[in-house]
Amino acid sequence: MTRTLTYYPGCSSQASALHLDRSLRAILPVLGVELRDIEDWNCCGASVGHIEGGHLANAALSARNLANARAQGPEDVITPCAACYLNTHYVNESLRADAGLKADLNEALGAVGKSYDGSLHVRHVCEMLATDVGLEAIKAKVTKPLAGLKVAGYVGCQTVRPFADTERGNHFDRYDDPSFLDNFSRACGAEAVPFKRKTACCGGSISVMSPDKTLHLIKEILEEAKAAGADVISTPCPLCQTNVEMYQPMINQKFGTDFAIPVVFYSQLMAVAFGLDPIKDAALGMNIIKAPALAGR
Amino acid sequence: MTAPTPSRTYDLSFARYVYDHIDGGQRLKLCMQCGACSGSCPIGTQMDHGPRKLFMMIRAGMKEAVLTSNTIWNCVSCYNCVVRCPRQVPITYILHDLSALAIEEGYAEAKKADNARFAKAFWWSATVFGRTDERLVTARYYFSSGLGEGIKKGMANQAIALAMVKTKRMHLGMPHKVKGVGELKAIVAKAAEIQARHGKEG
Repeated sequence: MTRTLTYYPGCSSQASALHLDRSLRAILPVLGVELRDIEDWNCCGASVGHIEGGHLANAALSARNLANARAQGPEDVITPCAACYLNTHYVNESLRADAGLKADLNEALGAVGKSYDGSLHVRHVCEMLATDVGLEAIKAKVTKPLAGLKVAGYVGCQTVRPFADTERGNHFDRYDDPSFLDNFSRACGAEAVPFKRKTACCGGSISVMSPDKTLHLIKEILEEAKAAGADVISTPCPLCQTNVEMYQPMINQKFGTDFAIPVVFYSQLMAVAFGLDPIKDAALGMNIIKAPALAGR
Repeated sequence: MTAPTPSRTYDLSFARYVYDHIDGGQRLKLCMQCGACSGSCPIGTQMDHGPRKLFMMIRAGMKEAVLTSNTIWNCVSCYNCVVRCPRQVPITYILHDLSALAIEEGYAEAKKADNARFAKAFWWSATVFGRTDERLVTARYYFSSGLGEGIKKGMANQAIALAMVKTKRMHLGMPHKVKGVGELKAIVAKAAEIQARHGKEG
């Protein structure tokens, strides 16, 4: 059964996380999910928009996306990016709970004749995959099991916090010890190695602006993955993927280490396991640190 | 707790302002000073005060010390503190809004903070193009503290930039732009106007 959902790709989908976008657009149709992008979607403000823009103006960014999504139809909005998810879900929930905020945001939207009634559900792609699609359906599409591949599942922080509570009342996964990512690896036939730092922070945007403050956090993540014998680190988060991958040479220089651990998206693992094209669909050529254990299958 | 000294300035209306105007501020009254927040923070050791102490300083009315603190600029937005707080204080959001307040009130420390300079570049891209152009935001941020510093930062990150270009993950050419950029600007301007109106209503 195919269903269509409204998709919010987020700004990283056009640059640093192109490989997340490309691999998702390859695997989701295989799993019966068709995507319709939010018409003319804009930036969500990520984790810094409020600083320069202020609280309400930052929330207005998400309000425009939600208004455009609602105008397209009542389908759930799904997004693969931790920051897009946090902001969009937060604004959606806040305006439902707070009539004053709803009035303010609708007044702002009203400046261009738009409005939003708060009726959409905003969800993370991983939550949709884990709850709607389900592990059995994922397993059923695996034609090339990733046998012998050791994967450290690095969830990152924002994806499961604090809005991992779904709007339907149940909790998608645990804040400190989520299991969905390891389950995805196992469904693909890989081995999920024990990995305690699965929700440790990579430094987020602080790593981008002031890496000296946070490189040690990434080093600890890499250290544990290496000690666990991981061939690759898998992550759902665009910024985690970029930070943990691109800073490895700088970490090696600073700490005298020799890390060269591939960091891939769960969707790239699925694309390979589903037997899709490793370059065109899994976008493995877009990883800075190549993953021969994955590409050579 | 440090004892009050005559050299410190206190503004007892500050606590009330934070309770009433900062998102989640009302819950600050419930903070029981357990320190789960500061202890959970990945870079709490690099903060001058940490959230626990900062919250007590808010209650004490230490406005200037709060808004010139580096604690509000070092939040990595991981929400570890939020999910662990036994009193459900939305710590991350409070720190976010305090940093916005520090900018609004024109504190020199706020303007100098890396996060503030980065946010300025980020907001520029988000509102001028409607999208984040990672390349331009980074470049604008690098050069926001002067030409020399910009060149130094650029050089230090040259290998990373090259790797991103090589893997086609740095967008080259004209920035991606939303079609309704005028519309977006009007919505944001209206929201800023409403925000200012609420500020005056006190």
